[in-house]
Amino acid sequence: MTTSQGHLSRRRALQLGVVTGVGLAVATAEPAAAGPVRPTFAHGVASGDPLPDAVVLWTRVTPRPGDDPGSNRGPVVPVAWEVAADPQFRRIVRTGTVRTGPERDHTVKVDATGLAPGSEYWYRFRCQGVASPVGRARTAPAPGSDVARLRMAVVSCANLQAGWFTAYRHLAARQDLDLVLHLGDYLYEYAPGEYQARDVVVRPHDPPREMTTLADYRRRHAQYKQDPDLQALHAAAPWVVTWDDHESANDAWSGGAENHTDGAEGPWPARRSHAQQAYAEWMPVRYTAGGRLYRRFRFGRLASLSLLDLRTYRDEQVASPVDPALADADRTLTGPEQLQFLLDGLADPQVQWKLVGNPVMIAPVRFPGTLDTRTAAGIATLVDAQAPPVAGLPYNVDQWDGYPAERAKVLDHLRDRGIRDTVFLTGDIHSGWACDLPADGATYPVTGHSVGVELVCTSVTSDNLDDITGTPPRTTSLAVETAFKASNPHIKYLDFDSHGYSVLEVTPEGAQMDWYVLTDRTDPHAAAVHSTSYRVGAGTQRVERVARRPA
Amino acid sequence: MNPRTTTLDRRRFLQVTAAGGAAVVLSSTVGAPRARAAGRPDLRVYVLVVDGTSPGEVEPLLMPRLSDLREEGTWFAAARSLPVMETIPNHVMMMTGVRPDRSGVPANSVFDRREGVVRDLDRPSDLRFPTLIERLNDAGATTGTVLSKEYLFGIFGTRATHRWEPFPVVPGSGHAPDQFTVDAAVAMVDEFDPNLVFVNLGDIDRVGHSDLTGPALGVARTAALAGSDSQVGRFVDHLRSTGRWDRSVLIVLADHSMDWSIATNVVSVAQLLAPRAELRDSIQIAQNGGADLLYWTGRPNRRNAGLQEVRRLVAAHPGVLSVHAPDELRLGPEAGDLVCFTRAGWRFSDTTPVSNPIPGNHGHPVTEPIPFLVAGGHPAVRRGVVVGEPARTVDVAPTVGALFGLGAPRGGYDGTARTSAFRAMPRR
Repeated sequence: MTTSQGHLSRRRALQLGVVTGVGLAVATAEPAAAGPVRPTFAHGVASGDPLPDAVVLWTRVTPRPGDDPGSNRGPVVPVAWEVAADPQFRRIVRTGTVRTGPERDHTVKVDATGLAPGSEYWYRFRCQGVASPVGRARTAPAPGSDVARLRMAVVSCANLQAGWFTAYRHLAARQDLDLVLHLGDYLYEYAPGEYQARDVVVRPHDPPREMTTLADYRRRHAQYKQDPDLQALHAAAPWVVTWDDHESANDAWSGGAENHTDGAEGPWPARRSHAQQAYAEWMPVRYTAGGRLYRRFRFGRLASLSLLDLRTYRDEQVASPVDPALADADRTLTGPEQLQFLLDGLADPQVQWKLVGNPVMIAPVRFPGTLDTRTAAGIATLVDAQAPPVAGLPYNVDQWDGYPAERAKVLDHLRDRGIRDTVFLTGDIHSGWACDLPADGATYPVTGHSVGVELVCTSVTSDNLDDITGTPPRTTSLAVETAFKASNPHIKYLDFDSHGYSVLEVTPEGAQMDWYVLTDRTDPHAAAVHSTSYRVGAGTQRVERVARRPA
Repeated sequence: MNPRTTTLDRRRFLQVTAAGGAAVVLSSTVGAPRARAAGRPDLRVYVLVVDGTSPGEVEPLLMPRLSDLREEGTWFAAARSLPVMETIPNHVMMMTGVRPDRSGVPANSVFDRREGVVRDLDRPSDLRFPTLIERLNDAGATTGTVLSKEYLFGIFGTRATHRWEPFPVVPGSGHAPDQFTVDAAVAMVDEFDPNLVFVNLGDIDRVGHSDLTGPALGVARTAALAGSDSQVGRFVDHLRSTGRWDRSVLIVLADHSMDWSIATNVVSVAQLLAPRAELRDSIQIAQNGGADLLYWTGRPNRRNAGLQEVRRLVAAHPGVLSVHAPDELRLGPEAGDLVCFTRAGWRFSDTTPVSNPIPGNHGHPVTEPIPFLVAGGHPAVRRGVVVGEPARTVDVAPTVGALFGLGAPRGGYDGTARTSAFRAMPRR
């Protein structure tokens, strides 16, 4: 944290508060120029995991200057919280006090219960007379209720070094979101210069090293949560999050990660436990370190949302798509218990839309045979492939494509049981996709028979194909996208270049994703422009391009 | 129309000439009112079952008239059939509002322990629960059944005030083509104007069973979809042209959908058990397409261990999705001791691998999704609405009962009145 960043943070948060209607109390959190030391809420407020009667509330208090994240310094302090039915806090419905200290990095997490379903609330914290910014939360609808519409932001892959979080700012300004779904890579582990915007470090990471220790992970979380755009979006709506790999380390699996070096960086279980503890402390999620992150939410009879953890239980990735181990029916991405959890949720007859928060792509993607070597190398870099792609074979074995037997269990489950209206919502791959999920890849081109769909949001900032190939956006990648779609006819939309966010709206009639792209991720004032929209009509299991929904 | 009436036993037969010139013979209970029922002059409900249709097939190119009804009315997007996904049990669920463990009708085909034979549940006495038809009659309303399949005519028998016996019946299929079925429905409406008419259109199902081009091409099925769609349209047009539309509520749904399998994707439980003579000789099999009902007929003291072993052997087959005790599915004792379902793209064939040569089958879970819509000109019908409620075939009786202000049967319904299809329930 630097002084200049802290100043910018407060000023920008105040500006955003005027726009969004939340965060208005930030001015009261300013320490006085002189006088007694007062606490600050420099990392904003957040809510998450909405249930019909509860929502998780989060903040981090800095009791005194110097009680920095990861420092393990500072007193234990009481923090009061309030939940109100109005933004002016005239009708306070729940209050409480908790204590926090250095053992949890002065983070505060409250599961505010006893709330009414489908209701809007405002919340804030107080410590030693200082009030936090105000956040807005919304509880989930009552179980079994008819819900006309569910609207959520869908985001992933926000690398602070690679750009500004203007995507979050534009989402915060909408003020029409029921929740924000973050599909992972909320932060990145890399040191400055290791992974940024092409060759430009837009904002260097803190600490200035790859995070491996608990203090590192805490400091990195803290740095991200000082971003005013991220704070604004956290304050605007409840988040539902899962992690992908970069919350711990690249291409993480149950026994390690691509860039984890046992010995020099300690044993993997210790590093992962640091990552999990910091995640539990710093994220508005109903999760404790070492516990179960995969979980399910319901939004009346309209939709369920199953969040998956595809890093903790998975077997190691195969080295390449020609590795014979790919055919091993016992290899797992989910682990057996999580797989059963997923299958049970998909088969729930009491809910119409089965949404799956799916950190890595499930649609099969075969590498086309028409691309030149340079482009193929760029795609290999995009997906962290350890070997060059092979035409006709899966192009990324870090996805479900690397665990085909387990994917078959999921897709067969959908087909065998006649399960309809399943939508996988996916991040990870820094590109936008809309895909059918073929019941049988061989006959799909003739029958068009699909058992579900997959909608993939692009990265908030992280590099994608044009960044890797060093070409202008929407130039060379267009031919690559055409080749991918030709080789994979179930892929209806693919944008390998753009950064931004998506908005998903679910109604009984259909589920529609709108993709918005940033004009320039390295411009802190970048605009967001509607790119395209795809919809799956109820009962169709097929995506189709449609016009953007009216604002 | 040119009516000609004769009386036989307690039924009165009426021969009328339908619009197309064909003769339609309707039978009625002696003493039944010939015209509209008193007390409910403003409401007519027509339940049209497009047998074997998948919800995805209700789209403008394949089924334009049903698509129009969907757009004009309320579409239940998550509707499903109930086990066993066969014609007779789901028609019974529609007209009773209760599950098979209360109606006694779990499948098309069962092993009748008393008679010692596998047979269809096509006798009036097989249905043990009071139907909506009878309860409406008791309340002073009039009802009609126009059921294209012989076994449906069989099980519903003479319950309705007015009935049509399927004719002409296609050899081998046991059903009357939709053209004749709709002729009969039109004639019944014109002649008797019952408060409730229950219609089964069998062409889509019957063609689907035998369409060797399967789901990839579906040539014959596509033609059947178009044909049945136009027949539904003809019925709707008749209601409109005769001034009945504004008082009409149409519930259009299927009893199940359809799944196709190739000749090699066949599961024969009898063959699976053949190496174990002590098991094979102790099991009777009632085949229901994608579902097999297994009945233990061996020594009682071997039953539990024997069924456990049968379950293990059947479940191990790659084409078998699941094996259940009937209670898990609310199927009752008539369903035997084990209920087996195939995966999508498979079918049972018992007692021999060639016993079931037809590629189109249902009965297994992949055939659960069904179209289910409420339309009509009655002002109570909500227009242009898609509802995500889990509507089921068993919901038809409580929905129709609620429309007529009829209370629940003894013990209550197992289904739910889908009142979200209506602005307000029509006044009694």
